Amino acid sequence: MALRRLLALLFVAAVSHNAAAQTWPTKPLRLVAPYAAGGPIDISARLLAAKLQESLGQPVVVENRPGAGGNIGVELIAKGPADGYNLVMSAIATLAINPSLYPSLPYDPLKDLRHVTLLVQVPNVLIVNNELPAKNVKELIALAKQRPGKLDFGSGSSGSTGHLAGEMFKMMTGTFMVHIPYKGSAPALADMMGGRIHLMFDNLASALPSIKSEKVRALATTTLKRSSFLPELPTLEEAGLKGFDMTTWWGVSVAAKTPQAVVERLSGDILKAMDAADFKERLRNMGSEPPAVRTPEQFTTFVASELKTHTELVKRSGAKAD
Amino acid sequence: MEGIFGNLAIGFTEVFKLQAITIAGMTMTLPFNILMCLIGVLLGTLIGVLPGIGPVATIAMLLPVTFNLAPIAALIMLAGIYYGAQYGGSTTAILVNLPGESSSVVTCLDGYQMARRGRAGPALATAAIGSFFAGCVATMVVAMFAPPLAEVALKFGPAEYFSLMVLGLVAAVVLAAGSLIKAIAMVILGLLLGLVGTDVNSGVLRFAFGISEMADGIGFVTVAMGMFGICEIIANLEQKEKREVFTSKVGSLMPTRDDFKRMVAPILRGTVLGSCLGILPGGGALLASFGAYTLEKKVSKNSHEFGKGAIEGVAAPEAANNAGAQTSFIPLLTLGIPSNAVMALMIGAMMIQGIAPGPQVMTERPQLFWGMIASMWVGNLMLVILNLPLIGMWIKLLTVPYRYLYPSILLFMAIGVFSISNQPFDCFLMAMFGLLGYVCVKLGCEPAPMILGFILGPLMEENLRRAMLLSRGDPWVFISPSKPISMGFLIASVLLLVIIALPALRKKREEVFVEEPKA
Repeated sequence: MALRRLLALLFVAAVSHNAAAQTWPTKPLRLVAPYAAGGPIDISARLLAAKLQESLGQPVVVENRPGAGGNIGVELIAKGPADGYNLVMSAIATLAINPSLYPSLPYDPLKDLRHVTLLVQVPNVLIVNNELPAKNVKELIALAKQRPGKLDFGSGSSGSTGHLAGEMFKMMTGTFMVHIPYKGSAPALADMMGGRIHLMFDNLASALPSIKSEKVRALATTTLKRSSFLPELPTLEEAGLKGFDMTTWWGVSVAAKTPQAVVERLSGDILKAMDAADFKERLRNMGSEPPAVRTPEQFTTFVASELKTHTELVKRSGAKAD
Repeated sequence: MEGIFGNLAIGFTEVFKLQAITIAGMTMTLPFNILMCLIGVLLGTLIGVLPGIGPVATIAMLLPVTFNLAPIAALIMLAGIYYGAQYGGSTTAILVNLPGESSSVVTCLDGYQMARRGRAGPALATAAIGSFFAGCVATMVVAMFAPPLAEVALKFGPAEYFSLMVLGLVAAVVLAAGSLIKAIAMVILGLLLGLVGTDVNSGVLRFAFGISEMADGIGFVTVAMGMFGICEIIANLEQKEKREVFTSKVGSLMPTRDDFKRMVAPILRGTVLGSCLGILPGGGALLASFGAYTLEKKVSKNSHEFGKGAIEGVAAPEAANNAGAQTSFIPLLTLGIPSNAVMALMIGAMMIQGIAPGPQVMTERPQLFWGMIASMWVGNLMLVILNLPLIGMWIKLLTVPYRYLYPSILLFMAIGVFSISNQPFDCFLMAMFGLLGYVCVKLGCEPAPMILGFILGPLMEENLRRAMLLSRGDPWVFISPSKPISMGFLIASVLLLVIIALPALRKKREEVFVEEPKA
């Protein structure tokens, strides 16, 4: 008797669970962008929200929760209800770099979050100021060896991908250059055009206009494959730095206990949006090429491997934050 | 010169172009771009008037909408929001002592005093006229000299910015003089508050007391709303009598002939100063309105009236602020470098449309470039036409009894502060700054020098440390002959200090930041 009641209960539970997933969403969703309004992650969140709103039939509200390098917004979702109504724009910073940068991160990027879809992958490019005699990566390495500690490389902030790419470059070439952190890459670019810093690893989207107008010179991309935006530009791997790979990426994550059916529906709808021509074009305008990583499982594996690489890198670079 | 007129002709043709637009199945021929400009400036005025809700949040929210527009229409509208907000921001500063953004802090000083004396109408009109004139002139500067001025902007590195900020701070201290010690103390308090948050170089958290909401520092709006808005409300509640309405006498709406005479020179000087500082992407525009006010205070023959409702104290900073807002498009349009958060958003809007901002925009898409510049002119004109009749309506607000006015102001402030990062914590912080502001008022310490220190401190520190990093720790970098700009600013700062050190000149030190003692 007890067994039958238990079975019946389990059955009911299973059915209602299923039903919940089928009727989801029944109320508006919120998509937390853990940065201030207006950055590339915020813009892509708003683009995605507009698309999801159509396919899910419920409003998707973008909520900016900036602070602590994005950790505040991600924590909100990681520790929030796992009902599928709370989404967050997660990124290389919050999932792969900050865990080693911040000694007391309030969430575990693998245990507290389910990773749904990788949305954007933007390569970094190695750019130098026009007055620098180095015309290619080899000459740059030679120059850095000839003038140890004399070259300055800028970055958007301490612990950014641009900073870590520079540290990786120093490690792999055995050179020493001084890191000059800025608040965002725009002022760093301005200082480079003014001839005050020598090189930087900047995200392709922000560097592209200056490269095209020849205000700065691009030497290489930091990804394993050449970028279709600058097909003539070699990769650092081609230039002899084997395995050099530093891509800025972001995507969508939810709380870890979110039902599988909801995660699948979300992932399906986001992928559908990403395959739509207009959305694809807009992401491309931000410097992104469609990621090969597509399913939630692939994305999770990707996050885990990025976390491992960057933990190592942060440790070696000596960067830290409280 | 002919080239310029040809280009402007392209621009105006683009702005007034008639387009066939299909709305809800009906196709109409409309001057669509000009309509977008109107919508932009209207929205901008509205958000400028609402305390705390700034152009950044508005433009970010509207971005997805603009993707379906033609690039030119989108940019015209977004730019309209930006400079429209500059207009609207002065309204609350004058009427209720609420600076919505850093540039309107100085407008509070004399604008609010004018309002208290029943001269809110002339103050608002002066702000609108000054802004209009400055906007027109600065737009012409953008049209004619954008590329060479962009080169000047590139001459400013960390050392130059640091020295410029030093000059700004010294000017604040030297010229603020109800009590010099108190002014210095307030500047230093501001500097200290500016240190809260993540250190740029090492990423270490400073003075955040483990509160993650403070990891990125204290927001300007939070401090300004508390120190000015809430503090003002508390101070007014103290008054036993005349608590019913703000002011019974509303006075005339328009400035008198004498007012016009007094505002001409300050507007001209403010326009020049604002246009110059606006070009600098690294925070020069922040100094524009403060600088213009300080300068005016020093050269005006009515300087004894400053802080008590001098019309020059409204005209100059408003002109400077709007001129700076227009010329800050120069680094964006010619170099692709955003000088502030709004400009960064404009870059985002352009990139999504497939336009890479930079010098090639001017040659590859002349319609877009010149269309945008022409739209600024038209937009400024619309703003002044829009705002002058509105003054009558704004002034009516002052006759609303306090018991309705204050709770609504408090509510709007809380909404505004909350909406910046969606953190309830910021509202509590604002309340605390309100209390601090009240204590300061009781001690005779005015908040303006503190706000200037708070704005400049972080920029100064950042640039100082960056300059030292670049020079590998050599302090001579600030006065080396290879950096004449930096050296010039520092020499000017020293001269200002000398002026204060000479007792004979001391009595000439005048009160910039000291407001009229509260009743």
